[in-house]
Amino acid sequence: MLRYEGIRYISDKQMVVLDIGSAYTKFGYAGEATPRGIIRTEVKCPESKEIRRIFNYIDIDDLYQLLVEFLHLLFFRHVAISPKDVRIVVLESLLTPTQFRETLAKVLFRHFEVGSLMLLPTHLATISTLGTDTVLVLDVGYQEATLIPVYEGVPILKAWQALPLAACAVHECIKKDLTDSIPNLRIPEKTVEDIKVRTCFVTTLERSAKLGTDDAPSPPPAVKYPGLKTIEIPGYVRERAFEVLWERDNDNLSISTMILDAIVKCPVDTRRQLAENILLIGGTTMAKGFASRLKSELNTLLKSDLYSDKLKIQTFKFHKAPSKPNYTAWLGGAIFGIADLPARCLTKENYLKSNRVPDWVCLLDNQKDDTSNCGI
Amino acid sequence: MSISAPVNRRSNLKIAAGAVVCEESILKGDITIGARTVIHPKASIVAEAGPIIIGEGNIIEEMATIVNRLPPNIVDSATPALQIIGNYNVFEADCTCEASKVGDNNILENKAFVTRDVELTNGCVIGAACSLIEPEIVPENTIVFGSQCHRREMNDKPYPQIGQLEYLMRVLPSYHHLRKANIKVKSDPAT
Amino acid sequence: MAYLFQPDYVRYVCSCGSLKPISKMYFCRHCLKIRCGYCVCHEADSHYCPNCMENLPSAEVRLKKNKCSNCFDCPCCFQTLCTRAGQAPLRPPASSADAKQDVKATPKKVYYLSCSLCRWTSRDAGIPDQYVATGGWPEQENPNSTRISTLIDFHKVLASKEKQEQQRKKFPTKRTFLQYEKFGLTSAMVRKRAGKPLEPKSLIQHSDQPAPAVANEEVDDLPAGIFTEAVDITKITTLEQRLQHPDVQAEKINELRPQHKQFLVKRSQRCRGCEHNVSKPEYSPQSIKFKIQLAAFYHVPEIRIVTCEPLRVGVASELLLKICNPTQHQTQISLLPLDTPTTPTTVTASGEEQELKRENIQMGSESPNLLPLAVRQISVTEDPKPITVVSGAEIALPECPLFLPPRDDAAEYDETNDASHFQDDKKVVVWRKGNKIVVRLHVTPFANEQNKGEPVIVGFVLRHGYVNTLATLEHKAPQKSELNVQLFLTLGNLVGTA
Repeated sequence: MLRYEGIRYISDKQMVVLDIGSAYTKFGYAGEATPRGIIRTEVKCPESKEIRRIFNYIDIDDLYQLLVEFLHLLFFRHVAISPKDVRIVVLESLLTPTQFRETLAKVLFRHFEVGSLMLLPTHLATISTLGTDTVLVLDVGYQEATLIPVYEGVPILKAWQALPLAACAVHECIKKDLTDSIPNLRIPEKTVEDIKVRTCFVTTLERSAKLGTDDAPSPPPAVKYPGLKTIEIPGYVRERAFEVLWERDNDNLSISTMILDAIVKCPVDTRRQLAENILLIGGTTMAKGFASRLKSELNTLLKSDLYSDKLKIQTFKFHKAPSKPNYTAWLGGAIFGIADLPARCLTKENYLKSNRVPDWVCLLDNQKDDTSNCGI
Repeated sequence: MSISAPVNRRSNLKIAAGAVVCEESILKGDITIGARTVIHPKASIVAEAGPIIIGEGNIIEEMATIVNRLPPNIVDSATPALQIIGNYNVFEADCTCEASKVGDNNILENKAFVTRDVELTNGCVIGAACSLIEPEIVPENTIVFGSQCHRREMNDKPYPQIGQLEYLMRVLPSYHHLRKANIKVKSDPAT
Repeated sequence: MAYLFQPDYVRYVCSCGSLKPISKMYFCRHCLKIRCGYCVCHEADSHYCPNCMENLPSAEVRLKKNKCSNCFDCPCCFQTLCTRAGQAPLRPPASSADAKQDVKATPKKVYYLSCSLCRWTSRDAGIPDQYVATGGWPEQENPNSTRISTLIDFHKVLASKEKQEQQRKKFPTKRTFLQYEKFGLTSAMVRKRAGKPLEPKSLIQHSDQPAPAVANEEVDDLPAGIFTEAVDITKITTLEQRLQHPDVQAEKINELRPQHKQFLVKRSQRCRGCEHNVSKPEYSPQSIKFKIQLAAFYHVPEIRIVTCEPLRVGVASELLLKICNPTQHQTQISLLPLDTPTTPTTVTASGEEQELKRENIQMGSESPNLLPLAVRQISVTEDPKPITVVSGAEIALPECPLFLPPRDDAAEYDETNDASHFQDDKKVVVWRKGNKIVVRLHVTPFANEQNKGEPVIVGFVLRHGYVNTLATLEHKAPQKSELNVQLFLTLGNLVGTA
């Protein structure tokens, strides 16, 4: 009985959902609750035999080759499917460089000959996981933190925020602190990442204020990190790792001001609702204490001179998606992708005819009565 | 020093009765070997800086090396360093153990390397090709594995290789010349 | 594929512009072109478990989420786990009722999973031992699966509504039922300008709409002891271990659970030009044989470097190349300068040479490719890659054609029949045996400031006769054609200047 049902379910075509992040790629099938896997977005270069990150591409040709290698591995080793004529959902940030999405589409259609491609904006797709349609989505990933509020299902694009405050900055910070305390230490970023994940945490606002002053609180215990060479990770490194996300830079910007600035840019009548529907996604937000620090930072900033007269918000409320934050965007795509809407996909035929990917910044795709189905 | 063993070429080699020590093994210096310990041919035990005491039921496979090495820069130490190896340890082929103290039920897998400032407690496994090169006391039931020398604490210590030990004690004497035991069973220096 | 001459000294140029050794190339017999892994279409043929070699039809693979039901990976080091048998551990007799039943029974055999690399066992994770050797291991469910499936169902309903709506109204509609609009800054503005309320909102009040998630003011605080408690890093999972099991992402080592082993695929390769298979493995995962294997190694003459004199700028060095004919037909080879066009040519019935095109390639009539081009799908073409190799030496090529007899496996062992009836120019052909010859060439490296320290590379075009045997199946005369392939040879570094 079960088998029969399964086969019926199988009769409809599979849809592959990819979330190609700058550090990790999440992949799986639409309609499933968990990604099939999460792998690093990197490939071994066939010529030089070194591991290269896809996003460290030199130029378009280089990116093309890297993507071919990476997607080949992804399709045949991990997803285990023939990419030809398959339908694909790719999650992308609205801020993805045009260069990247055009190249990705070219690789998918021209090299892998996929059947259709649906490019979904990360922030928008993510709200499928909640069942509500007003959410302020903050994505803190590897390269940058991006924020787009979505109100009643419509992204408020003018309020977008992006800062290079994410895992990469945290890694740099840990690396610097470690090399300061242990001279001649050379550690690969992978190890730094592992140290971050296993030992570091986001400290509280009260302690953070005292860090570096005379009455600094006693640091958490040091951790011995064994490996080829044992590294002793001092307690202050563990505590300070994520401080870079909260320290306001010269322009007075940090993760917490991103949220407030975005809310300020939104229409007045949407502000309270947005502040009470915050969703944190991206691997960096999984750090211990991230949400609680964010909340106390927000509450403190609200009372500060910067925002006290601009914003009259009382509370901030946070959503919990039915998933881990590092693949919530993927899950959004997997839920949204199940809605089989040919109208929203870019098919191979259309691509080969027009040879371009519709883009929201392009006026061609934003004509008033243009429902030419190339919209996303 | 010892007078009880005129048969041995090396007078300071003490082999307890019941130990299986192959003739082709390389033993240098002051070495005491406990009962039921099996030393394969071409295993080498070198007591350079001081005596080595090996307990009961150990398996020391071919090409495995146990060295009591002199600390660097010191040519001749005034106080001889003692190297103690407990019971039911397994030294697999081509591993090198310089640890000053090895407890019980440890396993050094193939090509594992343990430097002299390390102390292995009980039930540790040093995985194939892993090396411990920094001074430390390895906690009980630790396993070191993989190319990056990952560590984990095991739930249970590895089982003593009783079956293998019995098999070797039966088979090895049929194919190899053995060194004669020269100590009565009673004295067990390792414990 | 590992190859005897692994550092790729001799590289062939594929139709797509990739440079690869001959061992990594295919030769499509239908369009007479060299193909490589980059310019063929890969297809997943069959799924199999790399551990137990079980293979399943693809429908079942989908059902099982592409995972083997019997084999597991270690959650700690990702090696394959093996099932080990042990005696049931002795329990204190008072603890359970079944201890009484066991009194007369012999001690039961129990099975647990164990990793031979890192010695992780299912007992470490607290998974109870099983009484059967395969299967029965507890599965971990995604804790949110019910919530997610209601969300998915809801989206399906929305999607079908939107579809119906679109079909009902022939004219395109701006209204969408899914809660989001297409990027909608513009359309949202249109609506606002029109003073309309957000229409879809009122229309999607379904009874089956899942309860929207509720935001909470409370968030997870830092664990209380984090500032004081010592951390034992050996008990905390690494990021890799967490990502192995995305829906749980356990933080503690003993919360790790074994993961089902993923299936791998056997792939077949198809030529993109004519959609014929160039490589098709046998279905069974145990078999290492191929049904179709059109490797270039069997069709294109192979060139190896025998020796090369030390290279000096401006001085001619002797280069010995061994050329081997792998086909069953005698072939004629000529080496031509690099700028020769590489289009294949054939000799027509009337005896004139003409360019070989798709239309005049002979093909077997049972070939599926006889459909007119227009009927087939739009052919997807990828632009060929540009060749970036720079030739660093002048190469003097022999002017006379070279003849290579067909391959004869028996002749390999035949010492007597060595006297050849080929009239070779002894200055060019140094050695000849069976289907192999060694030719002598001269290379003169030229001074190149840019590539200093880089090895010297020379290139030329190898023109070889090829007999298309596909047609012989229909008792037609096999078509002879001349094929050209570009080659690049890496000769080594300069030793100095003259």
